[in-house]
Amino acid sequence: MNIINKLGNKEQNLAMVIIGDRCIGCDACYVACKTDWDVPALKEAYRTKVWEVENEDQHGNPTIGFLPTLCNHCDNAPCVDVCPTGASFKRDEDGIVLVEPDMCIGCKACMVACPYDARYYDEEAQTVDKCTFCLPRTSQGLDPACVTTCVGESRNFGDLNDPNSNVSKLLNDATSIMRLKEDEGTLPNVYYININS
Amino acid sequence: MRRHKIDRRGFLKLAGVTGVATTAGLTGLPSPLKASTEQEAKKGARFLKYDRGVHSPNFCEMCFWNCGVDVYTRDGKIHKLEGNKLNPNNSGHLCAKGNAGIVSTYDPDRIKSPLIRTGKRGEGKFKKVSWEEAYKYVHEKLNPLIEKHGAETLATFMHGTGEPYPHMFTMALGSPNITIPAYSQCMGSREMAWALTFGTGVSGHETFDMAYSKHMMIFGRNMAGAVQVREAKDFAEGLSRGSKLTYIDPRQSESCVNATDWLQLNPGSDLALALGFIHVILKENLANMDFVREYCYGYNELIEHTKEYTPQWASEKTGIDAKTIERVARDFAKDAPNVVAIPPRRMTRYGNDTQTVRAIAILNALMGSWGVPGGIFVRNKVPIDFPKEEHPHHPKARRADGVGEGEKYPFAPPPLGRTNGIYEATLTQKPYPIKAWLLYGTNPLSHSSVGVNDIYKAIDNLDLIIAIDTQFSDTVMYSDVIFPESTYLERYDAPYIQKDKIPFIALRKPAIKPIYDTKGAFEICKGMAKEFGLEKWFETSPEEKVEELSKLLTKEQMETLEKDGVLRFEDVEPYPIASGVKTRFKTTTGKVQLYVPDLDESYKKYGDDFSPMPKYKDPIMPKEGEFRMLFGRTPHNSHARGQNNSLLLELQDDTPIWINPVDAKKLGFKHGDDVFLINTKTGYKSEHTEKLKVTKRIKEGSVFIHHGFGHDSSAWSRGDKKGIKENWFISDGVDPISGAAAFHNGFVKVVKG
Repeated sequence: MNIINKLGNKEQNLAMVIIGDRCIGCDACYVACKTDWDVPALKEAYRTKVWEVENEDQHGNPTIGFLPTLCNHCDNAPCVDVCPTGASFKRDEDGIVLVEPDMCIGCKACMVACPYDARYYDEEAQTVDKCTFCLPRTSQGLDPACVTTCVGESRNFGDLNDPNSNVSKLLNDATSIMRLKEDEGTLPNVYYININS
Repeated sequence: MRRHKIDRRGFLKLAGVTGVATTAGLTGLPSPLKASTEQEAKKGARFLKYDRGVHSPNFCEMCFWNCGVDVYTRDGKIHKLEGNKLNPNNSGHLCAKGNAGIVSTYDPDRIKSPLIRTGKRGEGKFKKVSWEEAYKYVHEKLNPLIEKHGAETLATFMHGTGEPYPHMFTMALGSPNITIPAYSQCMGSREMAWALTFGTGVSGHETFDMAYSKHMMIFGRNMAGAVQVREAKDFAEGLSRGSKLTYIDPRQSESCVNATDWLQLNPGSDLALALGFIHVILKENLANMDFVREYCYGYNELIEHTKEYTPQWASEKTGIDAKTIERVARDFAKDAPNVVAIPPRRMTRYGNDTQTVRAIAILNALMGSWGVPGGIFVRNKVPIDFPKEEHPHHPKARRADGVGEGEKYPFAPPPLGRTNGIYEATLTQKPYPIKAWLLYGTNPLSHSSVGVNDIYKAIDNLDLIIAIDTQFSDTVMYSDVIFPESTYLERYDAPYIQKDKIPFIALRKPAIKPIYDTKGAFEICKGMAKEFGLEKWFETSPEEKVEELSKLLTKEQMETLEKDGVLRFEDVEPYPIASGVKTRFKTTTGKVQLYVPDLDESYKKYGDDFSPMPKYKDPIMPKEGEFRMLFGRTPHNSHARGQNNSLLLELQDDTPIWINPVDAKKLGFKHGDDVFLINTKTGYKSEHTEKLKVTKRIKEGSVFIHHGFGHDSSAWSRGDKKGIKENWFISDGVDPISGAAAFHNGFVKVVKG
């Protein structure tokens, strides 16, 4: 699949693969993430969120769909480029994009630069914050909080450099693969696939 | 809106920081912004640590499904709830409500001590009292009522894992009026129809084998949006494995997301559609005759009975074209027996609910989907002989709700009762005075069937309202004495035993000590019972019940249960028919009853409503200018225990009123208009406006709102008066067979705010 980012010189190429056939829009991910990471109790503050997309088909019949969103941990991350202090950075070893709170001055440039609205400002900590691909959890061998809780088992996480990983297999089996806003040149690491329809 | 559309960029603009938006704007920033070498060296190190904390086993209490929960506690504070991977109810996942359970425990709005009312009812003025004072108050107020009217003057409403204790207290006092709203306000008609057909109910943990189904035909059960974890997961899994989905509902719910066909039928015509399907299947000889011959009773009668229900006839009733009805019926039969026709769970709709589910049950019978993969699995008991617990003698008094032999609703089960019947008895004080209510985790003012005017009148007839709850629901605010219950994360409960596909036992242990002056329902009910000299019925505490269980299990089993929080019994057969095991159904005939002889007598006496094979009757229709009031669950807020939960209210805190574009145009309304609802029967007008959601996702002639909002509780800093409560706009109908409520014949007018 030529769509997959290849970071040949990195140990791991971490990615999230979301199976569209299996997202039921229950928002369990939103709540699991907020409780694990003490995300501020505000509507505007979240690291992941499911959008309900209402539309019409060619016959004028209504359709609905669900779009789970989170930080795309882009290989060409605009948030990292605009950060004046280096607080926003991309890990060499696995491609995860993080914000180091000690270095963040709260200028919010990254929030505006991010084409995915993946970041929020934590008023109390006075720093920008975002999804870490649950690095603290995965560093201890756990799955990300959203993947663990996902009721429809729609979310999958793993290393694309490993051909035997769940995510590699899913991308191989997918009938369609999409990433958000590819035209921005961000090279995102969140994949949306269908495996049936 | 359900998922708010606030764009965080909009939020940024509000915050006035857009000026920093470009990299160009950042050039020339002063050099101190450069990180020190020390900072660079430490960068990211904090993200490589995760203290999971101390584990304790539990099961969820945010809804009735009771998913297995692993509770993780750091320094005495609960940090995270995760799904137990081995618990068959959820296989490691939790829904939004389950994840948010942590917030309910640390909620500053909780009931923090026993309270006695000081102000007027509903004013919300209470004084803090000791437990002894509260227990004595109950005796002082309840005893004279019992002496005057008999113990049956007490009616008890229960919902939650602590149910056995208020149940025991009420039985020991001698009142038969115990009611579990899950029957008459929810599953009653479905369970009745299944029992008449298959000899057993669907059960509270549905037996639909969706993960392996080839075709799910779902009648208005919102699998995706109502979210019971195993069901929702199996639904998603079935779809991802390529199952067809025929979703039947006047509203396009979340469950339509991957539907093969969405049949937007006329509200109240589900039975006509099911009869149309049955007609096609019988006429074209599509039934699974191996199953029918061996296991079904009344096949020839059914052929005769459904001759009139042609696809053309069904089309007129449902608004679905005849060709589609034929196509879907053929498609469904093609994949038999690995198909399943699924009735709604809350089957309190048009008053023909038992008969509607009978037709859905018959569809399964004709496919032979019972006891096969992808159809309906069979539940197995935990293979342990539990010693019978001693109970007080069953009270002699007749029930007040018309349930029991020789009463108006002889088919309804006395252990569950008709909650709607208890409301009526309280309102009319007939057949005898109901003067006291004991509420355990229930909220009649918010979830009743008799409408706003009548439920408040009913409450006025009560001399005593006792509440046991964790939170100040609408009705707790009206109570005279309040006992604060510890949450499920703070208390023991008896071992949880579930008959299921894979039967299991689960444990609940407190993760933390109670934060406030609260107790479990066992201790609370024991405290009340003691005042009446009835404490002998409360000898074994929930914690001691775990010890008792350990004597019935092997050492290895108990160790597994303690370690994993769940003990599974895998050596069982959920698919007996597929495995060739001969089955006797627990019906009167021992067969699957396409024809129900149990109804013969009532049919002769009362006519078509009790027909042994379902007969169609047109639903009550709205008048010109009226809309039918429909309602349903959201994935987050619709269960009572989450309705003041800050995290869940972030996801939704309003109830947009769904209306079809054709209706909106007629009324001259547009999307986003502020409107009131008026109940055309009672004249009740919503206290505030809500936004109109103009969408084809709702059928013409109906409006829809989500359930679980519009609360009236000044003690709730977040959930109070958010959205509209459907309760004030629904009907107070009754299904004649099950005696359960019928809510969907309520009609409203929509007027501009």
